[in-house]
Amino acid sequence: MAFLLSFAALIPLDNLGHYIQWHIIEISVANLIVMILMVVTFIVALVAPFPGRSRRKENR
Amino acid sequence: MSKKAFRPDVDAPKWKGGYSPYDIIKEGTIALVVILVLTVIFAVVFGSPDEKAITVRTWSNADPIDFATTALSELNGTSTSAAYGAPYNNVPGTGQAMGPLKLEQWVGVRIPINAAQDFVISPLKSLPDQPILDQNLKTWSTASTTTQNSWLSSYGKAATKMKVAKGQIVVNTTSAGPLPIMINDLTQMARSGALDQALVTGHGFYTTDYTKPLLFLADSGYLANLASNQHLTGDQWGMMNETGSYPGQAWLWLYTFWYQIAPFNTSASGDALVFATMGVLSLVLLFVPFIPGLRSIPRKLKIYRLIWREHYQDNK
Repeated sequence: MAFLLSFAALIPLDNLGHYIQWHIIEISVANLIVMILMVVTFIVALVAPFPGRSRRKENR
Repeated sequence: MSKKAFRPDVDAPKWKGGYSPYDIIKEGTIALVVILVLTVIFAVVFGSPDEKAITVRTWSNADPIDFATTALSELNGTSTSAAYGAPYNNVPGTGQAMGPLKLEQWVGVRIPINAAQDFVISPLKSLPDQPILDQNLKTWSTASTTTQNSWLSSYGKAATKMKVAKGQIVVNTTSAGPLPIMINDLTQMARSGALDQALVTGHGFYTTDYTKPLLFLADSGYLANLASNQHLTGDQWGMMNETGSYPGQAWLWLYTFWYQIAPFNTSASGDALVFATMGVLSLVLLFVPFIPGLRSIPRKLKIYRLIWREHYQDNK
């Protein structure tokens, strides 16, 4: 049993979630965090320079 | 030979500049390793949803009165399963449709369910060595429909004050015929776990058809309450939620969005309407390259110039 418990999550999220309600829109905080992370990742992907940019310039 | 006019929406100018090497295998491998590492880290830190399975046994032990009243609704034909229509049973006026397209009626009764017989009578008949119950089941089956309805009505009225005493379902009525014994015995059967097994349909070596226990559970108030507490019901955007505090299927937001507004959330054919709406929208997405105006949006938004800004700066 102790062996199995060693595989338990460090921060289990089994407790009831938190939800944000605005008019007809209802969203869980967990989903909102994931959505914000996705948008942030998208913006970073747009504005972050491509890796190897300086090397390519040197090769020209 | 006439030269075709250049169409900015459809045609691409021929590239006349130089080319840079691009190692897609290297980038793909890096992405795979990063995702793998992140997955392992998140699995170790947060784990994954691990809700215990809900059975008829857990339901009837947690809320025996809800179980008994649901069993009564199966007998008197007022449960969702009993009055659902296709594909479970023939109930006039039921079945989702899209205008003249009677989708569920076309499918017909593919999984026959007789709620009274399948959820109550047959499981009770499967109990061995129960002479009193057998006598009561015989009384029920040999009674006329009028008499059965009279018993159901009497039991239903008394069931509003139903209680559990020493583990037994107690309903204060003397005019419900064999029903008090039948409902109580079914509740005891459920609480022992025997009903779970009796409801599973097995035609072969493996018994994997859980249609009946799932339908019975779905008729209960118990399951609806559990789902509501976890924000999993249709009117709670449940399709995109997960149990506990875990993130769910956020990408299903558009599907579940329709269920929050009229006419989808008021129509008896809400599922069919959402199905049709999402079908049309999916076709629009599929044919974006062929829809004038819509296909020009990326060209006019010019986000590609932000992504490839290095190239556009060099080629000013």
